[in-house]
Amino acid sequence: MNWAAVSTVTVLLFLFGSYLQTSWQLNGLLNQFGSQLEVSVFLGTGVQGADLQPTVAQLPEVAAVQVITKEAAWAQLVDEMGASDLKNATRQLEGNPLTDELKVRARSPQAVVTLTQKLARLDGVDEVRYADEVVQRISQLNRGLSWLSMVVTTLLTLTAIAVITTTIRLIVMARRREIEVLQLVGATTIWIYLPFILQGIIFGGLGAVIAWSFILSMQQFLKRLLTQQPEFLQFLLNGLQLSAQQQLLLPLILLGFGASIGLMGSLFAVRKAALR
Amino acid sequence: MAPAIAPPTAKTQSPSTSKVIAPAIVTLRGVSKTYPNNTKALMGINLEIPRGSFLFVTGPSGSGKSTLLKLLYGEERATEGRVVVDGCDLQQLRGDRLSHLRRRIGVVFQDYKLIPRRTVSENVAFALWAQGLSRKEVHRRLHPALRMVGLHHKSNCFPEQLSGGEQQRVSIARAIVGTPPILLADEPTGNLDPDNSLQVMKILKKLNEVGITVVVTTHDDGLIRRMNQPVVQLFNGYLLQPKK
Repeated sequence: MNWAAVSTVTVLLFLFGSYLQTSWQLNGLLNQFGSQLEVSVFLGTGVQGADLQPTVAQLPEVAAVQVITKEAAWAQLVDEMGASDLKNATRQLEGNPLTDELKVRARSPQAVVTLTQKLARLDGVDEVRYADEVVQRISQLNRGLSWLSMVVTTLLTLTAIAVITTTIRLIVMARRREIEVLQLVGATTIWIYLPFILQGIIFGGLGAVIAWSFILSMQQFLKRLLTQQPEFLQFLLNGLQLSAQQQLLLPLILLGFGASIGLMGSLFAVRKAALR
Repeated sequence: MAPAIAPPTAKTQSPSTSKVIAPAIVTLRGVSKTYPNNTKALMGINLEIPRGSFLFVTGPSGSGKSTLLKLLYGEERATEGRVVVDGCDLQQLRGDRLSHLRRRIGVVFQDYKLIPRRTVSENVAFALWAQGLSRKEVHRRLHPALRMVGLHHKSNCFPEQLSGGEQQRVSIARAIVGTPPILLADEPTGNLDPDNSLQVMKILKKLNEVGITVVVTTHDDGLIRRMNQPVVQLFNGYLLQPKK
């Protein structure tokens, strides 16, 4: 077994598999953010949330609407600030300075932008806020990761094919006496070169299996690391979980990719000799 | 020095034998071979080898003997002319069709071309395995071939444990184990002493007597005289008149 060829494929597939997994995880995270994505609609002074609630609930992008009265918001704020005497605080500020707020949940992350635009146009709405920045940053990260991984994967794929080609060519050269005899006694081209092609596929397949085991170990390690972290990171951990379908798909993709690289490398190696 | 020979005749040359001439198993018509470096190895060769005959091809080194055999088993292609072996035109043969013709041609070399890390029986069985024969069929054919060359008692030896003559006999066994109708031997005694050379020649003669057409290249005139078989001579790529 030639470990130079196998380890090159392993490094390639480990990086490729890690990228693929991270990309899926980031998408999962985006969806999770999306599902919890609430648009905060602050109403104008004197506008009652309960009056606007039916209009907002009728919008097609809306999944749910919750009214937070300015009194409830004020009470929560005061509570969070540690001021126990609500009446005293209100008196000091000459009344409740807040306005009613609607918490609107969108049906899908894609609908959020449209929804905010519609909400902003409604009468009585002062300001619309949502956590689009986080979503956009993650999307940007995902896009950047895609480009980086495409470049790295292409370079490593070419390297792996070159290493496998060289390795198989060396094996062919080392066995040229046998090949010569095989040709003389009438062995067909497939009979002579199929073992070399299979060897290339095995290099690729073995690289895929090792890469997958590394990825699994890394997953376990990160999971263990994150479970000891604060709640926000645990929330992230839920987003980072792969679905059962993805868990099955990842090794299959790695195996297919590895085998293809092995096949290509060995075909390049024997092509010249076989076509004579 | 330029050879003092007549230009080749257009007439087909056939080795002289006392037997009734059988239809040709090998036919060369107007065959020339020029290598890519412009070396002219063969020029205007016309030759017919009857089925079941024994023929020596002789001539000095570089006269084109090996090239002639290479044309017969398809290792090289003629630049001009036609080469027909056992009914197959070698100019037309490529890929697997050439492989299938080679199963009907046994080839023996001066350097034996045995595989060092395989035993005698494995080396011989290798030829049958390469043709995709079953294990049972390989086993059935292996021992008669080894007995024919007198090496059945050394079937588990490795080539390095054998003498040159024995290695050449393994090579002959490998060439005939597939029961080909034609056997080509390129300087089979080139590395052997006179006794081993004679032994190898006797085996080749015995194979000829069971019906295999045998073509042997050699420049050992003594051996040719002792074997008393038809001879054709090559000189600087030209085929000279047959001599006895």
